[in-house]
Amino acid sequence: MAGVIAPLTYVVVGLAVVLCVAAVWYAVRDRLIDDRLLVVAALVEVGLLALLVAGLADLGHITDDAEKATFVAYLVSLPVIPVGTSFLAIKEKSRWAMGSIAVGAFAVGVMAARLAQIWMSYG
Amino acid sequence: MADPRPDRSPEAPRDRRALGGPGVLLVVVYGVLALAATGRSVLQISEYFDRAPLAYLLSAFAAVVYVLATWCLARGGSWVRVGIVACAVELVGVLVVGLASYLVPSAFPDKTVWSHLGAGYGYVPLVLPVLGLLWFRRVERGARAVPATHPAPSSGDEGTAASPE
Repeated sequence: MAGVIAPLTYVVVGLAVVLCVAAVWYAVRDRLIDDRLLVVAALVEVGLLALLVAGLADLGHITDDAEKATFVAYLVSLPVIPVGTSFLAIKEKSRWAMGSIAVGAFAVGVMAARLAQIWMSYG
Repeated sequence: MADPRPDRSPEAPRDRRALGGPGVLLVVVYGVLALAATGRSVLQISEYFDRAPLAYLLSAFAAVVYVLATWCLARGGSWVRVGIVACAVELVGVLVVGLASYLVPSAFPDKTVWSHLGAGYGYVPLVLPVLGLLWFRRVERGARAVPATHPAPSSGDEGTAASPE
């Protein structure tokens, strides 16, 4: 399992960047959320859930307690974000909601990159 | 209830619903920050509280206020008043703790969300309460400008700002 996490994190960061750029594009063009964007958001979500399972299964990899705590906090919080922003965008149909998907995706990207950073520091 | 309000109005909300327009963006940013602050403080307090009790209690307090502000933004209505207080507390908190962490670093052996004016979070904790207060003020004004009984919009000349599509 251990080998999965670093590449998986990169995939998630990549997908989050795609989602962020797409949402900004939608907001600029004043387009509302559609199936295509939801699929990208869903892919990010699946990646995050896979990361959650793989990360929790192999927590022993991180030996420092403080870093382990941060890692778990990020793992657990991350999947909430795409679900929350997509839900808001469906409920609140405006370009601002697309902006919120972009901001959420950006946060996911940053946090996932931080996850990878913590993980890699343990070889 | 036949509401004449168009489906997509980017202009100021008619009632105290805080979620319309830019509000939705604020909710998300606040929500992410609330999530980060809560996760961090729960683990700080449960795992190694003795290391820096003051900093960790401040983290927990900040987390509670962020969650409260997120809730107020999302709900609007009478929560707007509570939200204004929450944002004001955040602004004072980030300024006081931020300055204190520069002046008396020994009191903060570990970081809080508010340390160094929120530098660890891209200064978002410093900017956010200001945006929150501005937004809540706009919501309040929008509510005051339109009394409880919605006047039927006189056809045409009212919406000078909104261009018809």
